[in-house]
Amino acid sequence: MGNYFDIYIVGIGGQGVLTIADILTLTATNKDIEINYYPTKGMAQRGGFVKAQLRIGRQPNKFSPSISEGGSDMIVSMELCETLRTIRYGKEGAKYVVLGNRWLPTEVMLGNAPYPEEELIVSEIKKSGGVPVVLSPELVPEYARPNLFLLGAAYGCSELNVFFSLEEIEDTIKNRWPRVAENNLKAFHAGMKAVNSL
Amino acid sequence: MKRTVSGNEAIAYGALSAGVKVVSGYPGTPSTEVIASLLKMDLPGTCVEWSTNEKVAFEVAAGAALAGHRAMCTMKMSGLNVAYDSLIGIAYSGCRGGLVIYVADDPGVTAGMCEQDTRGFALMSDMPMLEPGSIQEVYDMAKIAFEISEKIEGPVFLRLVTNNSQSHANIEIGERVMPADDMPMPVRDTAKFTKAGAAICMAQHQDLIDRLVKAEKYIADKDYNRLALGKKGGVGIISVGIVNGYKNEAFEMLTGAGVNVADVTSLELIATVPFAEAKIAEVLTNCNTVVIAEELEGHLEKYVYLLAYKKKLDIKIMGKEDGTYKRIGEYNALLVCRGLCRALDIELPLFLVKTADSPEQYCAKRPIGFCAGCPHRGTYMGIEDGLKKSGYKKEEVFITGDIGCTILGISPPFNLLWTELAMGASIPLAQGFAYSRIPSPIIATLGDSTFFHAGMAGLVNAIQHNINMTVVILDNGWTAMTGMQINPGTQQSCQVGVWKQLDIVSVVKGFGVENLYIADPYNMNSISEAIQDSLSKEGVKVIISRRECAIEAARRKVTYKPVTLIPDKCIRCKRCINMSGCPAITLEKTSIVIDNSQCNNCGLCTQVCPTGAIVQ
Repeated sequence: MGNYFDIYIVGIGGQGVLTIADILTLTATNKDIEINYYPTKGMAQRGGFVKAQLRIGRQPNKFSPSISEGGSDMIVSMELCETLRTIRYGKEGAKYVVLGNRWLPTEVMLGNAPYPEEELIVSEIKKSGGVPVVLSPELVPEYARPNLFLLGAAYGCSELNVFFSLEEIEDTIKNRWPRVAENNLKAFHAGMKAVNSL
Repeated sequence: MKRTVSGNEAIAYGALSAGVKVVSGYPGTPSTEVIASLLKMDLPGTCVEWSTNEKVAFEVAAGAALAGHRAMCTMKMSGLNVAYDSLIGIAYSGCRGGLVIYVADDPGVTAGMCEQDTRGFALMSDMPMLEPGSIQEVYDMAKIAFEISEKIEGPVFLRLVTNNSQSHANIEIGERVMPADDMPMPVRDTAKFTKAGAAICMAQHQDLIDRLVKAEKYIADKDYNRLALGKKGGVGIISVGIVNGYKNEAFEMLTGAGVNVADVTSLELIATVPFAEAKIAEVLTNCNTVVIAEELEGHLEKYVYLLAYKKKLDIKIMGKEDGTYKRIGEYNALLVCRGLCRALDIELPLFLVKTADSPEQYCAKRPIGFCAGCPHRGTYMGIEDGLKKSGYKKEEVFITGDIGCTILGISPPFNLLWTELAMGASIPLAQGFAYSRIPSPIIATLGDSTFFHAGMAGLVNAIQHNINMTVVILDNGWTAMTGMQINPGTQQSCQVGVWKQLDIVSVVKGFGVENLYIADPYNMNSISEAIQDSLSKEGVKVIISRRECAIEAARRKVTYKPVTLIPDKCIRCKRCINMSGCPAITLEKTSIVIDNSQCNNCGLCTQVCPTGAIVQ
């Protein structure tokens, strides 16, 4: 890793995918670290594919917001099968921090369409040279917002700490939602802990 | 002041720091946030509005610019098609105050609609079109666009793409400049502001041509296009707008592979139109091979061919014509790098080569559908029921759809709509099928904002010509799909300041529609009955299906009588899921389950449950 860190974040509308990107963007901005944040919401208010591309440490004046194929240092995915959409963007050796949530489209629910098995996703990640870190949704504590849990996991197992100290991320989370700060920080730490005890 | 803003917000701030008096537009992804962000600010002295459609928005802004103020209008690429009739007229006339038309293209099609390249419009109307790349450049160019417009006394385009309109960066933002409060009585100048006679029109044409030359000179004098000459007789690259960033990153990739990129001549353009003749000529005389990197169409490339021919230069030009790049899709750094490798005759560095696998093929399909509680769901359930009770199979009935959330009737489980074309097109398109005597009743569906935008003219036409058709207006009170903008039908309490609500029912009544039905989509039967009755009548029938957008209603804490599931009564027949496609219902081991965090108690599922397991 150089002075750059590119993250590809995906999930389903309503899961709080963009909040993960928001927290990292705010933390970078507070520290005067260059960042470009490119959310793509598509057309659905809820239930559709959502992605965000974060480029940390690159001068946005010189580079574009899009991460090229094979260019992402880390993948964060809040939905199991949506991870498949990111694999072409992961670098050799990139970590895939995945929450094993299954958000079933209606046709899958009715048994009319297939949903890939976790093994397939893990093997596709490995085949492309990536490192899968899949967290079972059961690890998310009852009180915790899954997106903050996953952010904690991503922070706990990546080079993100080269850019941001734990206190700096905690400050952003605290200031973002002062009234529920304690709970959110607990969720973040639960994620860090979960990934470290894998 | 440093601030993290999106490209669209950067345009809003850029316009404010240029002293803009009027900003008008129509919502359209990816352009919407310019006006959305301005409407959230308190801006005495500046008029900001959502106009009825893009043509109206342009005309409002143009009027202010003719009066001498700085004005801007905003739209997505499809909107420019709508506004173009008036726009080209003003391009020929010119303007006094700065007039900037912001348009956002969508290479890669993240938001649906044609993957068109609006630079073609700039060519047709000889208008400068600035194409900033980075967010800081977007902000700066928003101001520069006004300066160029006033310098040449003609309108100027500002073109972004999804990539830079939607992405956010921390940029330096200046103070707002207050516009003049008023303007003196304008000079009456019919030679400039009418098209009265051939002499006037042709004089205006000459003025137009001269204006673009002036813009080219202005941009050249200010040195906005960035040229870095490399090795004589080597490779060069000309890129424009968003592609400049991809080029920089491609250079970084090449550096990583040991290429000395200082040898490569590079010209970063901030506009395709006007063509930067002097600088492009410098590149062509310095290089033996030149790569043209521009998204979508090869407008720049064709000009380069022309210039090379005129200057009798024997140079290899690489771009779309030789198949190096494609005319479709969004570009990226790797793609630009591939083209450069080809020009430099080197292999793509190994660390950049990714396997050709496409794991996304195993991903579950996720067709977009209505939100939980969406009133449109009830309308389409009612239409389906009404057709069935009138003796039709749904696949036998031709229904045109229109732009906006209402088009989701195209998705499962409804699969009811056959066409999606352009704002308001559902009604005239259906009329054509009525004339064609296809063996089907003719039904058109459209939303409230679409109706006001361009639907009214089509309805008037169908009424005048007495066409047998049913028009269903799905009135949820908001321009919803682009993220809840106010339209003429939005309730009075949500209009801004002195804005007034227009009532669709009165409008349609005023057109003289004899068979007008007002139905509630949360009551499926009311829609079904209206459909059944309308199919038995002659002429144009209109069903107004009214209920506020569930998201907007929820924001204002509108609540409905709770829906409850009696699990023991559920026989897992899946009828509620199959009929409604509601995302709040899941099928579990012993019964369905309703997700209370999504359910808004619209009650539509209770109306189709055969065992009374869901009650309200």
